[in-house]
Amino acid sequence: MEHDQKLILRKKIDSYVKGQLSEVEIQELWNEIAKDVSLLDDLELEVGVKELLAGNASSSKKKATLHTLPNWAWHSAAAAVIILVALLQLFRTPTPTELSQFVLNDISPDQIETSDALRSSTMNVSSADSLLNLGFQAAYNGNNKKALELFDKVIETYAQEPYGSKAYLNRGIILYNNGDYENAIVSFKEAISRVVENRMLTEKAQWFLANAYINTNELELALNAVGEAYMQNGVFRTQAFRLYQKLNYDLGKVDYENFEEQTEN
Amino acid sequence: MDYSQFVKAIHENNKKELDKQSIVITRVLIKFLRVRLNASQEDSEDCVQNTLLFVIEKIKEEKLHNPDSIIYYLFTTAKNEYFKLRAKNKESNYDEIPDSHAKEPDQLKNILSKERQEVLNRCLAKLKPDYFEYISHWFKHPGDEAVVVASHFNISVNNAWTKKHRILQILKECVQKNINL
Repeated sequence: MEHDQKLILRKKIDSYVKGQLSEVEIQELWNEIAKDVSLLDDLELEVGVKELLAGNASSSKKKATLHTLPNWAWHSAAAAVIILVALLQLFRTPTPTELSQFVLNDISPDQIETSDALRSSTMNVSSADSLLNLGFQAAYNGNNKKALELFDKVIETYAQEPYGSKAYLNRGIILYNNGDYENAIVSFKEAISRVVENRMLTEKAQWFLANAYINTNELELALNAVGEAYMQNGVFRTQAFRLYQKLNYDLGKVDYENFEEQTEN
Repeated sequence: MDYSQFVKAIHENNKKELDKQSIVITRVLIKFLRVRLNASQEDSEDCVQNTLLFVIEKIKEEKLHNPDSIIYYLFTTAKNEYFKLRAKNKESNYDEIPDSHAKEPDQLKNILSKERQEVLNRCLAKLKPDYFEYISHWFKHPGDEAVVVASHFNISVNNAWTKKHRILQILKECVQKNINL
Protein backbone atom coordinates (compact mmCIF):
# COMPACT_ATOMS: atom_id res chain seq x y z
CA MET A 1 0.00 0.00 0.00
CA GLU A 2 2.76 2.40 1.05
CA HIS A 3 4.81 1.20 -1.91
CA ASP A 4 1.93 1.98 -4.29
CA GLN A 5 1.53 5.45 -2.79
CA LYS A 6 5.24 6.08 -3.21
CA LEU A 7 5.08 4.96 -6.84
CA ILE A 8 2.16 7.32 -7.52
CA LEU A 9 4.11 10.20 -6.00
CA ARG A 10 7.19 9.35 -8.07
CA LYS A 11 5.05 9.44 -11.18
CA LYS A 12 3.68 12.80 -10.07
CA ILE A 13 7.20 14.14 -9.64
CA ASP A 14 8.02 12.90 -13.13
CA SER A 15 4.97 14.72 -14.50
CA TYR A 16 5.84 17.86 -12.54
CA VAL A 17 9.34 17.96 -13.99
CA LYS A 18 7.86 17.46 -17.45
CA GLY A 19 5.41 20.33 -16.89
CA GLN A 20 2.36 18.11 -17.04
CA LEU A 21 0.67 18.91 -13.71
CA SER A 22 -2.11 21.41 -13.12
CA GLU A 23 -1.91 24.07 -10.43
CA VAL A 24 -4.07 22.00 -8.09
CA GLU A 25 -1.96 18.89 -8.63
CA ILE A 26 1.23 20.86 -8.05
CA GLN A 27 -0.05 22.13 -4.71
CA GLU A 28 -1.16 18.62 -3.76
CA LEU A 29 2.34 17.39 -4.52
CA TRP A 30 3.89 20.11 -2.37
CA ASN A 31 1.55 19.08 0.45
CA GLU A 32 2.93 15.56 0.12
CA ILE A 33 6.47 16.94 0.09
CA ALA A 34 5.70 18.75 3.34
CA LYS A 35 4.75 15.40 4.86
CA ASP A 36 7.68 13.44 3.44
CA VAL A 37 10.77 15.54 2.85
CA SER A 38 12.57 12.74 1.01
CA LEU A 39 10.27 13.64 -1.90
CA LEU A 40 11.96 17.03 -2.05
CA ASP A 41 15.28 15.23 -2.56
CA ASP A 42 13.67 13.16 -5.31
CA LEU A 43 12.31 16.27 -7.00
CA GLU A 44 15.65 18.05 -6.73
CA LEU A 45 17.44 15.04 -8.18
CA GLU A 46 15.09 14.73 -11.14
CA VAL A 47 15.30 18.42 -11.96
CA GLY A 48 19.07 18.23 -11.60
CA VAL A 49 19.46 15.24 -13.91
CA LYS A 50 17.16 16.81 -16.47
CA GLU A 51 19.10 20.07 -16.43
CA LEU A 52 22.47 18.34 -16.74
CA LEU A 53 21.31 16.15 -19.62
CA ALA A 54 19.84 19.15 -21.40
CA GLY A 55 23.17 20.94 -20.89
CA ASN A 56 25.12 17.98 -22.24
CA ALA A 57 22.90 17.82 -25.29
CA SER A 58 23.37 21.48 -26.15
CA SER A 59 27.12 21.49 -25.50
CA SER A 60 27.64 18.33 -27.54
CA LYS A 61 26.25 20.00 -30.64
CA LYS A 62 29.45 21.08 -32.36
CA LYS A 63 29.32 24.25 -34.33
CA ALA A 64 30.17 23.86 -37.99
CA THR A 65 33.28 25.62 -39.22
CA LEU A 66 32.45 28.52 -41.53
CA HIS A 67 34.59 29.03 -44.60
CA THR A 68 33.83 32.42 -46.08
CA LEU A 69 34.27 33.29 -49.72
CA PRO A 70 35.66 36.62 -50.92
CA ASN A 71 33.10 39.18 -52.15
CA TRP A 72 34.09 38.89 -55.82
CA ALA A 73 33.14 35.20 -55.75
CA TRP A 74 29.63 36.05 -54.55
CA HIS A 75 29.20 38.71 -57.23
CA SER A 76 30.31 36.33 -59.97
CA ALA A 77 27.97 33.63 -58.72
CA ALA A 78 25.03 36.06 -58.66
CA ALA A 79 25.76 37.21 -62.20
CA ALA A 80 25.96 33.60 -63.43
CA VAL A 81 22.57 32.79 -61.86
CA ILE A 82 20.94 35.83 -63.49
CA ILE A 83 22.27 34.84 -66.93
CA LEU A 84 21.14 31.25 -66.44
CA VAL A 85 17.61 32.31 -65.45
CA ALA A 86 17.39 34.66 -68.44
CA LEU A 87 18.46 31.87 -70.81
CA LEU A 88 15.97 29.45 -69.31
CA GLN A 89 13.16 31.97 -69.75
CA LEU A 90 14.17 32.50 -73.38
CA PHE A 91 14.07 28.84 -74.35
CA ARG A 92 11.19 27.85 -72.09
CA THR A 93 8.27 26.02 -73.65
CA PRO A 94 5.12 25.37 -71.62
CA THR A 95 4.73 21.73 -70.63
CA PRO A 96 1.28 20.30 -69.91
CA THR A 97 0.70 19.25 -66.36
CA GLU A 98 0.10 15.60 -65.52
CA LEU A 99 -2.41 14.42 -62.95
CA SER A 100 0.36 12.46 -61.26
CA GLN A 101 2.05 15.77 -60.41
CA PHE A 102 -0.84 16.57 -58.07
CA VAL A 103 -1.04 13.23 -56.34
CA LEU A 104 0.76 12.11 -53.20
CA ASN A 105 3.36 9.42 -53.84
CA ASP A 106 3.18 8.49 -50.21
CA ILE A 107 1.83 9.98 -47.02
CA SER A 108 4.25 11.20 -44.38
CA PRO A 109 4.06 9.29 -41.06
CA ASP A 110 3.66 12.73 -39.46
CA GLN A 111 0.06 12.60 -40.62
CA ILE A 112 -0.66 9.61 -38.39
CA GLU A 113 -3.08 10.47 -35.62
CA THR A 114 -1.88 9.93 -32.06
CA SER A 115 -3.42 10.64 -28.67
CA ASP A 116 -4.51 14.22 -28.07
CA ALA A 117 -1.33 16.17 -27.38
CA LEU A 118 -2.90 18.52 -24.86
CA ARG A 119 -1.10 18.30 -21.59
CA SER A 120 -4.21 18.82 -19.62
CA SER A 121 -4.35 17.77 -16.05
CA THR A 122 -7.71 16.23 -16.67
CA MET A 123 -6.56 14.17 -19.62
CA ASN A 124 -6.26 10.51 -18.84
CA VAL A 125 -4.04 8.61 -21.18
CA SER A 126 -6.04 5.53 -22.01
CA SER A 127 -4.81 2.24 -23.39
CA ALA A 128 -6.25 3.24 -26.75
CA ASP A 129 -4.17 6.42 -26.69
CA SER A 130 -1.08 4.41 -25.87
CA LEU A 131 -1.76 1.95 -28.69
CA LEU A 132 -2.18 4.83 -31.13
CA ASN A 133 1.11 6.32 -29.96
CA LEU A 134 2.88 2.99 -30.24
CA GLY A 135 1.45 2.56 -33.72
CA PHE A 136 2.76 5.97 -34.66
CA GLN A 137 6.19 5.06 -33.31
CA ALA A 138 6.20 1.78 -35.23
CA ALA A 139 5.18 3.49 -38.48
CA TYR A 140 7.75 6.20 -37.91
CA ASN A 141 10.42 3.53 -37.54
CA GLY A 142 9.26 1.89 -40.75
CA ASN A 143 7.65 -1.08 -39.04
CA ASN A 144 4.37 -0.90 -40.95
CA LYS A 145 3.35 -4.44 -40.07
CA LYS A 146 3.48 -3.75 -36.36
CA ALA A 147 1.76 -0.38 -36.86
CA LEU A 148 -1.12 -2.08 -38.70
CA GLU A 149 -1.45 -4.66 -35.94
CA LEU A 150 -1.65 -1.91 -33.32
CA PHE A 151 -4.22 0.12 -35.25
CA ASP A 152 -6.28 -3.03 -35.86
CA LYS A 153 -6.18 -3.69 -32.14
CA VAL A 154 -7.56 -0.22 -31.44
CA ILE A 155 -10.36 -0.85 -33.97
CA GLU A 156 -11.19 -4.23 -32.43
CA THR A 157 -11.09 -3.10 -28.82
CA TYR A 158 -11.85 0.63 -28.72
CA ALA A 159 -14.20 1.35 -31.57
CA GLN A 160 -15.67 4.41 -29.84
CA GLU A 161 -14.72 7.93 -30.86
CA PRO A 162 -12.22 9.44 -31.33
CA TYR A 163 -10.25 6.19 -31.41
CA GLY A 164 -12.17 4.44 -34.20
CA SER A 165 -11.79 7.24 -36.73
CA LYS A 166 -8.14 7.82 -35.82
CA ALA A 167 -7.26 4.15 -36.07
CA TYR A 168 -9.01 3.79 -39.44
CA LEU A 169 -7.31 6.91 -40.78
CA ASN A 170 -3.92 5.61 -39.65
CA ARG A 171 -4.67 2.21 -41.14
CA GLY A 172 -5.51 3.91 -44.42
CA ILE A 173 -2.23 5.83 -44.41
CA ILE A 174 -0.19 2.66 -43.93
CA LEU A 175 -2.13 0.82 -46.65
CA TYR A 176 -1.75 3.78 -48.99
CA ASN A 177 1.99 3.77 -48.48
CA ASN A 178 1.98 0.01 -49.14
CA GLY A 179 0.29 0.65 -52.47
CA ASP A 180 -2.90 -1.12 -51.34
CA TYR A 181 -5.18 1.68 -52.50
CA GLU A 182 -8.41 -0.35 -52.55
CA ASN A 183 -8.16 -1.18 -48.85
CA ALA A 184 -6.86 2.31 -48.05
CA ILE A 185 -10.08 3.66 -49.59
CA VAL A 186 -12.15 1.37 -47.35
CA SER A 187 -10.28 2.61 -44.27
CA PHE A 188 -10.50 6.30 -45.16
CA LYS A 189 -14.24 5.96 -45.84
CA GLU A 190 -14.67 4.20 -42.51
CA ALA A 191 -12.78 7.02 -40.75
CA ILE A 192 -15.02 9.61 -42.41
CA SER A 193 -18.19 7.77 -41.43
CA ARG A 194 -17.10 7.55 -37.79
CA VAL A 195 -15.51 10.91 -37.10
CA VAL A 196 -17.42 13.19 -34.75
CA GLU A 197 -16.75 16.95 -34.80
CA ASN A 198 -13.13 16.79 -35.88
CA ARG A 199 -12.65 19.01 -38.90
CA MET A 200 -8.95 18.30 -39.17
CA LEU A 201 -9.39 14.56 -39.24
CA THR A 202 -12.24 14.86 -41.76
CA GLU A 203 -10.06 16.99 -44.01
CA LYS A 204 -7.16 14.56 -43.81
CA ALA A 205 -9.36 11.54 -44.51
CA GLN A 206 -11.07 13.21 -47.50
CA TRP A 207 -7.79 14.45 -48.93
CA PHE A 208 -6.10 11.07 -48.67
CA LEU A 209 -9.24 9.36 -49.97
CA ALA A 210 -9.16 11.59 -53.05
CA ASN A 211 -5.55 10.66 -53.65
CA ALA A 212 -6.32 6.98 -53.25
CA TYR A 213 -9.19 7.24 -55.75
CA ILE A 214 -6.89 8.79 -58.31
CA ASN A 215 -4.53 5.86 -57.87
CA THR A 216 -7.42 3.50 -58.62
CA ASN A 217 -8.44 5.73 -61.51
CA GLU A 218 -11.85 6.57 -60.04
CA LEU A 219 -11.64 10.21 -60.95
CA GLU A 220 -15.28 11.19 -60.38
CA LEU A 221 -15.11 9.85 -56.83
CA ALA A 222 -11.76 11.58 -56.37
CA LEU A 223 -13.35 14.85 -57.46
CA ASN A 224 -16.07 14.52 -54.84
CA ALA A 225 -13.59 13.68 -52.09
CA VAL A 226 -11.20 16.48 -52.96
CA GLY A 227 -14.13 18.90 -53.03
CA GLU A 228 -15.02 17.78 -49.51
CA ALA A 229 -11.40 18.22 -48.39
CA TYR A 230 -11.31 21.72 -49.89
CA MET A 231 -14.50 22.67 -48.09
CA GLN A 232 -12.95 21.91 -44.71
CA ASN A 233 -10.78 24.98 -45.31
CA GLY A 234 -7.77 23.52 -43.52
CA VAL A 235 -4.11 22.83 -44.16
CA PHE A 236 -4.69 20.94 -47.43
CA ARG A 237 -6.90 23.69 -48.87
CA THR A 238 -4.45 24.95 -51.51
CA GLN A 239 -3.38 21.49 -52.64
CA ALA A 240 -7.01 20.38 -52.72
CA PHE A 241 -7.96 23.41 -54.83
CA ARG A 242 -5.28 22.66 -57.41
CA LEU A 243 -6.23 19.01 -57.60
CA TYR A 244 -9.91 19.94 -57.83
CA GLN A 245 -9.20 22.23 -60.78
CA LYS A 246 -7.03 19.64 -62.46
CA LEU A 247 -9.63 16.89 -62.08
CA ASN A 248 -12.36 19.15 -63.41
CA TYR A 249 -10.17 19.99 -66.36
CA ASP A 250 -9.23 16.38 -67.08
CA LEU A 251 -12.82 15.23 -66.74
CA GLY A 252 -13.83 17.88 -69.26
CA LYS A 253 -16.10 19.63 -66.82
CA VAL A 254 -14.46 23.06 -67.09
CA ASP A 255 -12.36 24.63 -69.80
CA TYR A 256 -10.27 27.05 -67.83
CA GLU A 257 -8.34 29.64 -69.68
CA ASN A 258 -4.67 29.38 -68.89
CA PHE A 259 -5.37 26.43 -66.65
CA GLU A 260 -1.87 25.07 -67.09
CA GLU A 261 -0.47 28.34 -65.80
CA GLN A 262 -2.85 28.45 -62.88
CA THR A 263 -1.83 25.03 -61.69
CA GLU A 264 1.85 25.28 -62.44
CA ASN A 265 3.07 25.78 -58.89
CA MET B 1 7.86 14.81 8.83
CA ASP B 2 5.65 14.07 11.80
CA TYR B 3 3.56 17.16 12.53
CA SER B 4 2.20 15.72 15.76
CA GLN B 5 5.80 15.82 17.06
CA PHE B 6 6.01 19.43 15.93
CA VAL B 7 2.80 20.32 17.83
CA LYS B 8 3.97 18.34 20.88
CA ALA B 9 7.36 20.10 20.89
CA ILE B 10 5.62 23.50 20.86
CA HIS B 11 3.25 22.63 23.70
CA GLU B 12 6.03 21.08 25.77
CA ASN B 13 8.41 23.89 24.90
CA ASN B 14 10.94 21.27 23.74
CA LYS B 15 13.42 23.58 22.06
CA LYS B 16 15.71 20.86 20.75
CA GLU B 17 12.89 18.95 19.05
CA LEU B 18 11.32 22.19 17.79
CA ASP B 19 14.61 23.25 16.16
CA LYS B 20 14.94 19.84 14.54
CA GLN B 21 11.42 20.02 13.08
CA SER B 22 11.77 23.67 12.09
CA ILE B 23 14.86 22.96 10.00
CA VAL B 24 12.88 20.50 7.88
CA ILE B 25 9.86 22.81 7.49
CA THR B 26 12.11 25.75 6.66
CA ARG B 27 13.84 23.81 3.90
CA VAL B 28 10.54 22.80 2.29
CA LEU B 29 9.05 26.28 2.49
CA ILE B 30 12.12 28.01 1.10
CA LYS B 31 12.20 25.66 -1.88
CA PHE B 32 8.45 26.14 -2.28
CA LEU B 33 8.78 29.93 -2.52
CA ARG B 34 11.83 29.71 -4.75
CA VAL B 35 10.09 27.37 -7.19
CA ARG B 36 6.45 28.44 -7.06
CA LEU B 37 6.89 32.20 -6.76
CA ASN B 38 10.41 32.61 -8.12
CA ALA B 39 11.40 34.30 -4.87
CA SER B 40 15.04 35.06 -4.15
CA GLN B 41 16.85 33.01 -1.52
CA GLU B 42 17.04 35.99 0.86
CA ASP B 43 13.36 36.92 0.52
CA SER B 44 12.37 33.28 0.96
CA GLU B 45 14.40 32.98 4.15
CA ASP B 46 12.81 36.12 5.61
CA CYS B 47 9.29 35.04 4.72
CA VAL B 48 9.74 31.52 6.06
CA GLN B 49 11.11 32.82 9.34
CA ASN B 50 7.98 34.96 9.82
CA THR B 51 5.75 32.11 8.71
CA LEU B 52 7.19 29.79 11.34
CA LEU B 53 6.64 32.38 14.08
CA PHE B 54 2.98 32.78 13.03
CA VAL B 55 2.39 29.04 12.89
CA ILE B 56 3.99 28.40 16.25
CA GLU B 57 1.81 31.12 17.76
CA LYS B 58 -1.35 29.61 16.23
CA ILE B 59 -0.49 26.18 17.57
CA LYS B 60 0.18 27.64 21.01
CA GLU B 61 -3.26 29.26 20.88
CA GLU B 62 -4.71 25.82 20.07
CA LYS B 63 -6.02 27.12 16.74
CA LEU B 64 -4.17 24.54 14.65
CA HIS B 65 -4.12 20.83 15.39
CA ASN B 66 -4.13 18.39 12.54
CA PRO B 67 -1.25 18.00 10.06
CA ASP B 68 -3.30 18.91 6.97
CA SER B 69 -4.44 22.23 8.41
CA ILE B 70 -0.88 23.00 9.59
CA ILE B 71 0.52 22.30 6.11
CA TYR B 72 -2.20 24.40 4.51
CA TYR B 73 -1.50 27.23 6.93
CA LEU B 74 2.27 27.00 6.38
CA PHE B 75 2.05 27.28 2.60
CA THR B 76 -0.65 29.95 2.62
CA THR B 77 1.16 32.09 5.19
CA ALA B 78 4.49 31.74 3.37
CA LYS B 79 2.87 32.91 0.14
CA ASN B 80 1.12 35.82 1.85
CA GLU B 81 4.33 36.86 3.56
CA TYR B 82 6.08 36.91 0.20
CA PHE B 83 3.31 38.96 -1.43
CA LYS B 84 3.44 41.40 1.49
CA LEU B 85 7.20 41.72 1.12
CA ARG B 86 6.89 42.34 -2.61
CA ALA B 87 4.23 44.98 -2.06
CA LYS B 88 6.37 46.67 0.58
CA ASN B 89 9.41 46.73 -1.71
CA LYS B 90 7.36 48.20 -4.49
CA GLU B 91 6.16 51.10 -2.33
CA SER B 92 9.73 52.23 -1.85
CA ASN B 93 10.64 51.79 -5.51
CA TYR B 94 8.53 54.11 -7.65
CA ASP B 95 10.36 53.29 -10.87
CA GLU B 96 9.38 49.68 -10.86
CA ILE B 97 6.99 48.55 -13.56
CA PRO B 98 3.83 47.02 -12.06
CA ASP B 99 3.59 43.25 -12.25
CA SER B 100 1.18 41.68 -14.62
CA HIS B 101 -1.36 39.32 -13.14
CA ALA B 102 -0.24 36.45 -15.29
CA LYS B 103 1.00 33.51 -13.26
CA GLU B 104 4.60 32.66 -14.02
CA PRO B 105 5.37 29.00 -14.57
CA ASP B 106 7.20 27.19 -11.79
CA GLN B 107 10.91 27.87 -11.75
CA LEU B 108 12.01 24.35 -11.01
CA LYS B 109 15.63 25.26 -11.67
CA ASN B 110 15.53 27.34 -8.49
CA ILE B 111 15.37 24.14 -6.51
CA LEU B 112 18.94 23.31 -7.47
CA SER B 113 22.13 24.18 -5.66
CA LYS B 114 25.37 24.66 -7.54
CA GLU B 115 27.33 22.38 -5.26
CA ARG B 116 24.86 19.50 -5.56
CA GLN B 117 24.74 19.87 -9.33
CA GLU B 118 28.51 19.59 -9.59
CA VAL B 119 28.48 16.40 -7.56
CA LEU B 120 25.52 15.08 -9.52
CA ASN B 121 27.34 15.74 -12.77
CA ARG B 122 30.28 13.64 -11.59
CA CYS B 123 27.88 10.89 -10.51
CA LEU B 124 26.15 10.94 -13.89
CA ALA B 125 29.51 10.49 -15.59
CA LYS B 126 30.13 7.38 -13.48
CA LEU B 127 26.86 5.69 -14.49
CA LYS B 128 27.04 2.47 -16.47
CA PRO B 129 26.62 3.26 -20.20
CA ASP B 130 23.29 1.42 -20.50
CA TYR B 131 21.91 3.22 -17.44
CA PHE B 132 23.12 6.54 -18.85
CA GLU B 133 21.49 5.81 -22.19
CA TYR B 134 18.25 4.88 -20.46
CA ILE B 135 18.00 7.94 -18.22
CA SER B 136 19.07 10.22 -21.08
CA HIS B 137 16.31 8.80 -23.25
CA TRP B 138 13.79 9.29 -20.46
CA PHE B 139 14.59 12.95 -19.91
CA LYS B 140 15.30 13.88 -23.52
CA HIS B 141 11.85 12.70 -24.63
CA PRO B 142 9.65 14.41 -22.04
CA GLY B 143 6.58 14.01 -24.22
CA ASP B 144 6.86 10.24 -24.23
CA GLU B 145 4.79 8.24 -21.84
CA ALA B 146 6.41 5.45 -19.88
CA VAL B 147 4.72 3.02 -22.24
CA VAL B 148 6.64 4.46 -25.18
CA VAL B 149 9.95 4.34 -23.31
CA ALA B 150 9.16 0.76 -22.29
CA SER B 151 8.50 -0.17 -25.89
CA HIS B 152 11.72 1.54 -27.02
CA PHE B 153 13.78 -0.53 -24.59
CA ASN B 154 11.61 -3.61 -25.03
CA ILE B 155 10.64 -3.89 -21.37
CA SER B 156 7.33 -3.75 -19.51
CA VAL B 157 5.89 -0.44 -18.32
CA ASN B 158 6.35 -1.44 -14.68
CA ASN B 159 9.96 -2.33 -15.35
CA ALA B 160 10.44 0.99 -17.11
CA TRP B 161 9.41 2.84 -13.94
CA THR B 162 11.45 0.51 -11.74
CA LYS B 163 14.54 0.96 -13.88
CA LYS B 164 14.19 4.73 -13.82
CA HIS B 165 13.82 4.66 -10.03
CA ARG B 166 16.82 2.35 -9.65
CA ILE B 167 19.04 4.68 -11.67
CA LEU B 168 17.85 7.74 -9.73
CA GLN B 169 18.47 5.86 -6.50
CA ILE B 170 22.07 5.13 -7.58
CA LEU B 171 22.55 8.81 -8.37
CA LYS B 172 20.97 9.87 -5.08
CA GLU B 173 23.25 7.62 -3.08
CA CYS B 174 26.26 8.79 -5.06
CA VAL B 175 25.39 12.44 -4.39
CA GLN B 176 24.83 11.80 -0.68
CA LYS B 177 28.15 9.98 -0.43
CA ASN B 178 30.13 12.69 -2.20
CA ILE B 179 28.40 15.90 -1.27
CA ASN B 180 30.55 16.81 1.71
CA LEU B 181 33.81 15.21 0.72
